[in-house]
Amino acid sequence: MKTSWPVLLGCLAVLLVMPHGVTVQERRVVRVSAERFSFTPSRIELRVGEEVDLVLTSDDTAHGFRIEGTDVDLAIPKRGPGEARATVSFDKAGRYEFACDRMCGAGHNFMRGMIVVREPEGRP
Amino acid sequence: MPTRTKRRLIASAIQAVLLFGMVTSAGAQGAPLSGYMEVHYNKVQPQDPVLDFHRFVLVMSHGFTPRIRFVGELEVEHAVVEGLEEGGEVALEQAYLDFLLTRSFNIRAGMMLIPVGIINERHEPPVFNGVERPFVDTVIIPTTWFEPGVGAHGEIGNGLRYRVLATAPLNAAEFSAAEGIREGQQHGAEANVRSFAATGRLEYLGVPHLTLGGSFWTGDSSFAVRGVDSAVRVGEADARYHRGPLELRGEFAHVSITDADRLNLALRRQTGVSPNVASAMRGFYGEAAYRIWNAGAPRDLVAFVRYENFDTQYRMPDGFVPLKLYDRDAWVIGTTYFPEPDIAVKVDYVRLTNQSGIVKTSHGLNVGLGWWF
Repeated sequence: MKTSWPVLLGCLAVLLVMPHGVTVQERRVVRVSAERFSFTPSRIELRVGEEVDLVLTSDDTAHGFRIEGTDVDLAIPKRGPGEARATVSFDKAGRYEFACDRMCGAGHNFMRGMIVVREPEGRP
Repeated sequence: MPTRTKRRLIASAIQAVLLFGMVTSAGAQGAPLSGYMEVHYNKVQPQDPVLDFHRFVLVMSHGFTPRIRFVGELEVEHAVVEGLEEGGEVALEQAYLDFLLTRSFNIRAGMMLIPVGIINERHEPPVFNGVERPFVDTVIIPTTWFEPGVGAHGEIGNGLRYRVLATAPLNAAEFSAAEGIREGQQHGAEANVRSFAATGRLEYLGVPHLTLGGSFWTGDSSFAVRGVDSAVRVGEADARYHRGPLELRGEFAHVSITDADRLNLALRRQTGVSPNVASAMRGFYGEAAYRIWNAGAPRDLVAFVRYENFDTQYRMPDGFVPLKLYDRDAWVIGTTYFPEPDIAVKVDYVRLTNQSGIVKTSHGLNVGLGWWF
């Protein structure tokens, strides 16, 4: 069977172009640092349906990270190489509060933050 | 109160705290019983060295609901409290309910820390450098400063956090030349609230690694001294910068007392001795710290240096002369070693000078072991 050169070249071109043409969306990573008595950043913005990897580290003692209205409740290890991780996504727009739920000192109850979830662009 | 009765009371209080921890540990989130302790060795020349179990503090917390929380802090200072002898104390430093309503508005009521300065709300031993707390946070801002009352706190966007409180005021009858307003705290012990004191603090955390803060406190404080109208106002500003191994912090505090001349005269009539209370007191400090061994506990060592200037006789009322021995400077240099992130082994050297030509400069070595759990 004879294969014509133009067809072979066409197939090769398709193979070379395909990896660039197919969009593989990597999950966004949001790094949150906990320190008595604040989270940095304390405000995180997402789109509805967007999956985000939260990576949480502490700069001092152990802290907690609980997102209200979800089952996300993480223990952030003390300063060191350890970290806490969770993949989160929200199917409704809104504001979701998070807070440290492990007593970390006199200002523990000030240690709060907010995830703001918006509709994807173009959607009302 | 007889010594034996006081000891029983302390023992009962600690038992109650431990029982509270055991009872709530089954249902509450996290650890309901935490606390911090610190034991110090102080050698101030030319005095004999002392070994002092400075603070034993138990912190209790309980969530009635996720949005209604209790926090309590019971402290024993200097290990033993006896009769009428000068020595330790038992203090209920915090016991409040937080009603967490929204991110921007929450209500707090009970015994609360006064949000003035860096240390008053951040005083766990692993959190600050130096065996003892900074002089400015002891003599100018009377840390640990706590009073009962009610207030609000929250975050109002763009990295701004606030706290406002209405609490019992200070008692000017206890002010002094050496310790300023420190002994004027009523500590919620049948505190006189003929008028309430107001406290406010604003913090800006909008720039990563940086915290800026400013506080005020104002209150009429002469309820215990007839014919005097002394209002006390405290203004304070502070900054902390922490990035990687570097931490910088600074604080400035100013105290003013109105009608200080009549306050001194009235107290001299009452006690026979003028307390020589100033009409203004001032202090500031700057500290630089660097994590010189930064490989994670137990390979975790911080070196620091701090300069402090504090004067409890900064401005005197007409007719009163400042006592220059209370115009002081301090250099503190030392290290904090963390065998574990919640355990701090501290060593520092303090050189304390004053503007008096008579009272000598002092210097001393401090060693401390403190922990949080």
